[in-house]
Amino acid sequence: MTRRTMRMAGVVLAGMVIFLPLSSLVIWSFAEKWYWPHLFPQQTGLFYWAKVMQGDLLRALTDGFLIAIVVTVLTLVITIPLAYVLARLPVPFKPLILMIFLLPQAFPQLPVFVNSTTLLYQVNLGGKLGGVVLIHMVGALVFAVWTMTAVFKSVPEALEEAAINLGASRFKAFYSVSLPLATPGIIASTLLVFLYSLDEFTGTLLVGSPFVLTLPVYMYRTSVGYELQVASISALMLMVPGIVLLVLLERYMKSEYLSMFGRI
Amino acid sequence: MRLSHRLACLVIALPPLAIVVWLFFIPFLSSAYLSLLREDQWSLRNYYLVWRLYRYDILYTLWIAFFSLVAVLVIAVFLCGYLRIHINRPVEFLFKIPLFIPFVVVGHAMRVLLAPKGTLNAALSQIGLVNMNDPPSIAFGWIGIAVCLIWKNLALAVLLVLGSYRSVDETFLEAARNFGASTFQQIKDILLPMSKASLAVAGAFMFTSMLASFSVPLMIGSGEPPQMVMIDVFYRINYQMDYGTANALGVVSYLLAMGVAGYYLRTIQKGT
Amino acid sequence: MVEVRVENVRKMYGKVEALKGASLNFKSGAMTAILGPSGCGKTTLLRSIAGFIQIDEGRVLFGNDDVTELPPQHRGTAMVFQNYALWPHMTIFGNVSYGLRLQKVPEAEIRRRVLKVLELVEIGNLSDVETRKPAALSGGQQQRVALARALVVEPKVLLMDEPLSNLDAKVRQRLRAELRRLQKQVGITAIYVTHDQEEALALADTVVLMNQGQIIQTGTPQDIYLKPGTAFAAEFLGVSNQLEGEVADGKLTIAGQTVSYAGPVRGKAVVIMRASDIQIEDPAATPRPETMALTGILEESLFLGAHYRQYIRVGRIVVMADSADPRPTGAVRLVLPSEKVQVYGQP
Repeated sequence: MTRRTMRMAGVVLAGMVIFLPLSSLVIWSFAEKWYWPHLFPQQTGLFYWAKVMQGDLLRALTDGFLIAIVVTVLTLVITIPLAYVLARLPVPFKPLILMIFLLPQAFPQLPVFVNSTTLLYQVNLGGKLGGVVLIHMVGALVFAVWTMTAVFKSVPEALEEAAINLGASRFKAFYSVSLPLATPGIIASTLLVFLYSLDEFTGTLLVGSPFVLTLPVYMYRTSVGYELQVASISALMLMVPGIVLLVLLERYMKSEYLSMFGRI
Repeated sequence: MRLSHRLACLVIALPPLAIVVWLFFIPFLSSAYLSLLREDQWSLRNYYLVWRLYRYDILYTLWIAFFSLVAVLVIAVFLCGYLRIHINRPVEFLFKIPLFIPFVVVGHAMRVLLAPKGTLNAALSQIGLVNMNDPPSIAFGWIGIAVCLIWKNLALAVLLVLGSYRSVDETFLEAARNFGASTFQQIKDILLPMSKASLAVAGAFMFTSMLASFSVPLMIGSGEPPQMVMIDVFYRINYQMDYGTANALGVVSYLLAMGVAGYYLRTIQKGT
Repeated sequence: MVEVRVENVRKMYGKVEALKGASLNFKSGAMTAILGPSGCGKTTLLRSIAGFIQIDEGRVLFGNDDVTELPPQHRGTAMVFQNYALWPHMTIFGNVSYGLRLQKVPEAEIRRRVLKVLELVEIGNLSDVETRKPAALSGGQQQRVALARALVVEPKVLLMDEPLSNLDAKVRQRLRAELRRLQKQVGITAIYVTHDQEEALALADTVVLMNQGQIIQTGTPQDIYLKPGTAFAAEFLGVSNQLEGEVADGKLTIAGQTVSYAGPVRGKAVVIMRASDIQIEDPAATPRPETMALTGILEESLFLGAHYRQYIRVGRIVVMADSADPRPTGAVRLVLPSEKVQVYGQP
């Protein structure tokens, strides 16, 4: 076998491993009648696509996006200063702070979120958008603090010292030197936070149910309720933002950022 | 640092810290507290119930996580070796896709694919490999869960392992190739031993995430025992409102996660 | 022992032509140094011989065998790398024995051969080579182990890619001498890539000078140094002054001063004068025959350890001249024998 055929065989094999599970979703989303054991549906069409556009799915979609936007903005606003300070200054108790931001990655989330839900109900945020935003922020913060601290660390301190040396204040140096240089990393991290919130399932299910509905929870309900067409359409919609991001950012994304995604 | 600086740091750190402490650290600690309460009395009865009702589920969970981890690592070690030595960008790109597909979607996709009357059985029955009156069920069992976990985590493993293989300088491989080392030997003798520490870290990361998997078994689990631990916690809360036992089970899952982390941390220290 | 021949070897990297048709014989049992500035294609040539690079055109022959299509492991070469490339997770013994293990040599013979070659490269204490990892050794010792690893498989050709460049000056000089001794003792065909002209001259039986993907000149170290064929060769092989001049009517004009010239070059020319060949005289002294002389102002004299380097302004240009003693600043005459003045036509 020549090199080229080996390569092609590799691509075909990998393509099958990746796309085989996903292809059934596509087929199901267009299936109007599909009886076992036929390989393809007897009747295909856009019937279910039209149907979902009127129902709960639309609400789940808009609520999900709203939550994701709020989570992203709030997370950014409170993370950037912290990440900068952690990257540059001798903050007291730095190891402890970093460890607290590692906990949600290191331990199973579900049993913890069970108790978080109780706490949120105590302050009357359970089953509300605000509660879901907060529970999303727990995961989003962990993710954002670690990636952005790394981003700021990668900006050479000497560049900033040069600005301070020329008479800039620390804030001015941050604003005019570090922030612009860190922008690409911050953008990557921001997009990933957004995607994290959009895809979050466990916290939303516990805190939001049954009042707040996002796409993953909606998909779960329809899937276990055997509305397979509706679930498959939701699943495809859930995949779109991620795939778009992957195609756009593949070349620029550092593997540390990507690896955070193994958990959603 | 001056006092005003310390204050500024505090103000900056407070909001994010407050959220994580309030909604993760405190609930995490209260798991331990609540697990020791039964009808408002100090008691170990919750742990007794965990032992009586869920010991096989814990083993079941460990088995699935262990099996999936070994499968993922073995595949990743050789796949990445191949990708490191013979560059194949399209394959590399394809294996990044699962990273961006959330677990719930993976669960649903595998449910559609692997269910008794799913797409895979339909395809196999066309060529007579499957008896269509009694189709096998890969979903709704441990293999279905393992397939989902392997599929999703393989992307992560490829990312991490390939990254660490790439940091092995080309000359180390050339020196071996010069002596006639095959692709397999280059992986076994050079790449793998030189990346042991990163592999241990990736392994620890994936194992805890597999132990804690919730949406996948929720989507493609059978609803009957044995169940994965997270499902037990969820059902215990949702259907029985039994916070004591649920939290005791939670604490057990934390201990498992900590044990794994500790074990791997030791391996890394030995490795360097 | 085998002669290595490359015939019209070409290699493109994208749009950059790294090798523009190199043809060369590497004598069997001799040490050949490929010398050139970075990016000249010398490493590409070496790696083409090793087989790590697929060449676009041309042939590589070991003796009468055409190895152009052979993968590296079937060529019988062994490579020594600039960064040593010793596998950090294996012991010294593990590193050296790896090639033999792949060849499935019996264990007892592996031991014998590894210990023998480690002795040959003078690694010192042999008792702990099975427990120590390469990181415990100094750079020089590591490169000895790397050399042992290459020699133990008894390759037909030993390839060395800047093997001494990562070492400090003292170690480098000592290993240079030992490398030469070892190569003569083993009698292996060796090809040595370096950008250090002193190293190439000291080590090699034959020096191959490369620039911009082409072979500029081949010859013994003495030939290359004393009779550089081009301005580039002269410039690369020593601290020299490279001056612009013009030849007309048997006269060479440099910076407005005219000297007699009987060579073949006409029109615009490049004049090379080694700093070490130039003598500095009082301008009032009587001119000597068979010399070329320029007058100028000595502006500065720097102590470089072994000698002084003087900077002399001649018209718009500055000429360097080395001497054993410092000279006071002021007007001087620069004198050098006519045969030491190298004049090249401008391309």
